[in-house]
Amino acid sequence: MKKLFTVLLAGVMVLSLAACGKTAESSNTFTMGIDPEYPPFSSLGDDGKYTGFDVEVCQAVCDKLGWEMKIFEVNWDEKLVQLDSNECDCVWSGMTILDSMKEAGYVISAPYYDNTQVLLVKSDSGIATSADLAGKDVAVQLGTSGEGLLNGDLSDMAATFNNVITCDSFLKCFTELDGGAVDAVFVDLPVAVSYAQEHDGFTVLEERFGDEQYGIAFRSGDEALCKQVEDAVKELVADGTYKKIAEKYPDIINNLIFLQ
Amino acid sequence: MAEGLSKTCAIFFLTLLFSLPLGMIVALLRMSKDKVVSSVTRFVISVLRGTPLMLQLLAVTYGPYYLFGISVSRNKLIPVVIAFSINYAAYFAEIYRGGIESMAKGQYEAAAVLGYTKTQTFLKIILPQVIKRIMPSITNEVVTLVKDTSLAFTVSYQEMFTIGKQIANSQTSFTPFVVAGVFYFVFNAIVDFGMGKIEKSMQYYK
Repeated sequence: MKKLFTVLLAGVMVLSLAACGKTAESSNTFTMGIDPEYPPFSSLGDDGKYTGFDVEVCQAVCDKLGWEMKIFEVNWDEKLVQLDSNECDCVWSGMTILDSMKEAGYVISAPYYDNTQVLLVKSDSGIATSADLAGKDVAVQLGTSGEGLLNGDLSDMAATFNNVITCDSFLKCFTELDGGAVDAVFVDLPVAVSYAQEHDGFTVLEERFGDEQYGIAFRSGDEALCKQVEDAVKELVADGTYKKIAEKYPDIINNLIFLQ
Repeated sequence: MAEGLSKTCAIFFLTLLFSLPLGMIVALLRMSKDKVVSSVTRFVISVLRGTPLMLQLLAVTYGPYYLFGISVSRNKLIPVVIAFSINYAAYFAEIYRGGIESMAKGQYEAAAVLGYTKTQTFLKIILPQVIKRIMPSITNEVVTLVKDTSLAFTVSYQEMFTIGKQIANSQTSFTPFVVAGVFYFVFNAIVDFGMGKIEKSMQYYK
């Protein structure tokens, strides 16, 4: 019995050593951290593979640099913790750059997308401005810049709402809206536009909130990696690949900083 | 987080309030002599125990909307408590059944000889012993329930853990999770102490 135990233990040790070897070897794989429910930047395609603007650009970057791309689905409200724990090499998924990220030491790429927040409502709800939402319920995704705005700069507006409900994904926010549990969803412009186009009966209100930009987050100390990715993106912009990818996503093309 | 804690407590107490009696009904159906009733109940229990509680929460909250167009409840406490109660009732039912079936047949025969009706036998002789016997298993489930309340975040119910996550986010800090952990632990320590007292008070034969 004791012998068997020793053998098993040895086996486990060998396996764990092998596992270590693998991570050291695979320095040319690049693991992209995405929110898998964030169209049109990153979402699951009909073929069961991840797609979206960010995913395609990242794939092009990896092709250029000869890296093997891997995708890791982060839990959006834990994304920085998961980045720190090496589960992914970057967070690249329509991520709003926040001052708090820079203060916490994360390396953030040059911004690539101008974003604003909007309110999505049901077309037949009669809601036309944020003022109409006084006393109503509004949903927002946990961990998004929209949630940050409602708690910070827009807290006066949020105070007029009956309730701000946090969901763990945008699709859940939209389900709540669709099902009549909330009256509006506070969401990033491109996500709202693409949802309203694909589903009947939703309207994006004219008002724009917040002034923010998307960027890619890397761990602190990964300045070189960030530079490599930024340079590769620049090359893609120069050779037209970037534009070609962007043209597949008409909802967001006008706000892409590199194409302006 | 204090507000969240009160919502966590609401799930906890309401779930116990509904699932403990419901479990007994389910247990009796499960032990019914009617083959159809008992096998249907058995199937329902196996579905409830065999699928994740998180899925059941989603099904109860959003299912009626997708299937019948009934709007999603604004007060999330209702679907959350329904889902938890049904799920826990399935577990409690099996615990009750185990307790009831462990009773010696001789006791029923003795009661019959003494002129007790079936209902009297069950309520006055069997049930008190069953409750005593199953207390440790019940405590086990109750402790699990305290921790399971955090699953309510999947349907956007703003209980303690959801709020902890929000704070953790806005402050880019882990402290709220530690605080939440301490809360759950203290909550369970109280549950443990309370259930221990109840168990002791029932050891009147020892």
